[in-house]
Amino acid sequence: MATGQPGAAGKTDSAITVFTARRVRTMELSQPTAEAVAVRDGKIVEVGTLETLRPWLDNYPHEIDDTFADHVIMPGFIDPHLHPSMAAVLLPMDFTTVTDWSLPWEDVGAVASRVELLERLTELDNRLEPGEPLFAWGHHPIWHGDIDREQLNNISTTRPVIVWHRGYHSFIVNDAFYEWLDVDLDAARRHPQVDVERGAFFETGLGFAMRYLSPFLLGSERFRSGLDRMRQVIHHGGQTTIGDAALGMYGFEREWEHLNAVMERPDTPFRIQFMVTAMRPQGNETSDQSMIEHILQLPERNTHRLRFSDHVKMFADGGFFAELMQLGFPGHLDGRHGEWMTPPERFEEIARSLWNARLKIHVHCTGDNGIELTLQTLEKLQSERPRFDHRFTLEHFGISRPQQVDRMAALGAIASVQVYYVYELSRAFADHSLGYERASQISRLGSLERAGVRFAIHSDYTMAPARPLNNAWVAANRINESGEVMCPDERTSLDAAIRAITINAAYVLGLENEVGSLSWGKKADFTILEADPYDVGTDGLNEIPIWGTVFEGEKFAIER
Amino acid sequence: MNEQRIPVTVIGGYLGAGKTTLINRLLVGDHGRRLAVLVNDFGAVNIDADLIASHDGATISLENGCICCTLADSLGDSLDAVLALDPAPDQIVIEASGVADPKKVAYYGQGWPGCRLDAVVVLADAETIRSLSDDQFVGELVTRQLLSGDLVILTKIDLVAERSLHDVEQWVGTVNDAGSVIRVAHGLVDPCVVLDLAIEAEVSESTNEVLGADDLFESAVIEVSSAIERQHLEVALETWSEEIVRVKGIITLVGEGRHLVQRVAKRWSIEPVSDDDTTNALVVVALRGANGLDQLSADVNSGPQL
Repeated sequence: MATGQPGAAGKTDSAITVFTARRVRTMELSQPTAEAVAVRDGKIVEVGTLETLRPWLDNYPHEIDDTFADHVIMPGFIDPHLHPSMAAVLLPMDFTTVTDWSLPWEDVGAVASRVELLERLTELDNRLEPGEPLFAWGHHPIWHGDIDREQLNNISTTRPVIVWHRGYHSFIVNDAFYEWLDVDLDAARRHPQVDVERGAFFETGLGFAMRYLSPFLLGSERFRSGLDRMRQVIHHGGQTTIGDAALGMYGFEREWEHLNAVMERPDTPFRIQFMVTAMRPQGNETSDQSMIEHILQLPERNTHRLRFSDHVKMFADGGFFAELMQLGFPGHLDGRHGEWMTPPERFEEIARSLWNARLKIHVHCTGDNGIELTLQTLEKLQSERPRFDHRFTLEHFGISRPQQVDRMAALGAIASVQVYYVYELSRAFADHSLGYERASQISRLGSLERAGVRFAIHSDYTMAPARPLNNAWVAANRINESGEVMCPDERTSLDAAIRAITINAAYVLGLENEVGSLSWGKKADFTILEADPYDVGTDGLNEIPIWGTVFEGEKFAIER
Repeated sequence: MNEQRIPVTVIGGYLGAGKTTLINRLLVGDHGRRLAVLVNDFGAVNIDADLIASHDGATISLENGCICCTLADSLGDSLDAVLALDPAPDQIVIEASGVADPKKVAYYGQGWPGCRLDAVVVLADAETIRSLSDDQFVGELVTRQLLSGDLVILTKIDLVAERSLHDVEQWVGTVNDAGSVIRVAHGLVDPCVVLDLAIEAEVSESTNEVLGADDLFESAVIEVSSAIERQHLEVALETWSEEIVRVKGIITLVGEGRHLVQRVAKRWSIEPVSDDDTTNALVVVALRGANGLDQLSADVNSGPQL
């Protein structure tokens, strides 16, 4: 029985910390702004003003922390879909993409032409230790033209040079690469997707090259140093919760072990929620059941920061950067074809097993035909066994039709959208892949907002920078790398853009009761900004400086 | 060197085309080959327990020397694993997934160290293939799969009337005009058209019976002059109809020495080999009644009579 007296059951002795700020932006409609947040044991006791917090402060020992007196406290930002393991492979490489990257350890300028790319490679060659291979990621022929072995031999005849495509599915090497890994050149010459003379490995040819490269790229030391860089990247973006959207790309247990070693530390200021890949394209209903049993047991492994849940990942069509999305009529501008990640019948079978087990399904779908398969499947499942609050989430949502948005609303589907496509790809895809109408309408967030479909935005890191404010800026402005505004009618409101990186991102992960907004009982996760995005407005969202974060009540400043 | 690379056969086709039925038959078939068969999933492979010598996680070993392995995350890793077996398998068979373009899987056979591509065999359900080719989601994919096949095997023909079967056959021939189209009921396709020919055995026997030819196929051994002109051979290989399903042999080319000749439907290769033998012969498997079968020998020895 509660007595209302200090020292009664349920009270803890730990002190309350009150964080005061120029403004607290709660992302709760009931109390949009406040001035102070009282925190105990990593959780919010109450949000309000020093005056309204009095009943707590009069009864308990407390301290006032005014570090943020000139700052704005926001709910900790959330990116619900990125790939730490992919980042671990990529982050040890040097970036040479057509866009700028602000990385914690360096700012990398855009590399916009062939000349600039070759110059950058020469710079990197001069900077690296002798013998250390030079991996450059970000080549895209649309901007950089074709690069070949001879050009890379001009960079170095002794250092292996590997120029990786922006979309990951090909790379170019020099002669030193062949020597370094003792590549079987006879076999390589027979391979239809290896061009030994040009130094090019593409698609299945990449599988050939990985035979030699995997031990190096996935070596424990390199992989963990990559993960540690990922840790810094997440913090610098102001994120306190992220979703790992496909644990196990390079082996489930190995990745789990590395993540535990690198991420589960007191100085890691964020948590990771895993969406486990629930795709066994060749399985059947029986093997699906054992897969589901396995998935349901995974939360037993949960640590403080690494968490499994009942959210699972499926795949419909191919990748967007790699232009493997499945498109309906009129298809790809250049006549190429998309890919299915699993046969549509099997997709439906797996989805049914997951749906009936009441799991929360997230579907990677990038083209309008991939989205069509996803929605037709959901329509069947809803008619067979209706569910409310099922959190069926369309992930990426590259090319969609407006009418598909209405069906999502009708079916209760939600979306987690890769909006950076608009920034980086819309002009290039208009010219080379899709034509203007579809390219300008990539990631149609305005329609989702009008239809009342709840959505998050994600980086799909390393597909896009893990900077939620930058993604929010793209969502609200739809300005691409050429400076054009692409389909202004698909811009979101400022409020929707901010919700998409806070409370709605939490909703997509099923964590809205714990994080994503500031009110009593939630985790004391804050992102500390120098300005309130609602004062700054849509134009300047990407320019707002981030002081750092608070993770479960503990301050983590970003070091500069 | 070349003949030591292990032949790889890719079996493709959409769901329900009969890939698993064919694979079961290859695994237990009386073909005398030690096959390493890479499948996507054991679930569907159904092997009589009496025939299984051991079952170890991802590998089933059969009494007849064949093994069946589930594909690892990477096809390359799986290939390396079976190539490392001692003794090495006579042939590798890869089951392509239902959404794969078999041609891309075949690239592994072509370019993986230690492998060479034997053939791409694409299966299609004679009853459903045409409607599937119009499907909103997979129409383009199944059409592309058909196009990838050196051999297209129409399965489940017992469920289709002769007349519409003929239509389907014609249609497949227009989609893929370079491949051989073969029809079978119940997946009862003869292993001799799916697997690489074992020339040594065939040549020594020099008879039609050794291939176990049935009412679908006939086979022959073409005797070749002591040495033949490269140009004659190339023109012959290029112009023979796709009803000549398989050709293989080691022959001497005038001024160039010993060469391994292989042809599956319209795809062929001539590669130099080190070989002390002096036998000159080509083994041929053709659809029964194929045009020009009696002309083959003359074509090779003195050039096709165009």
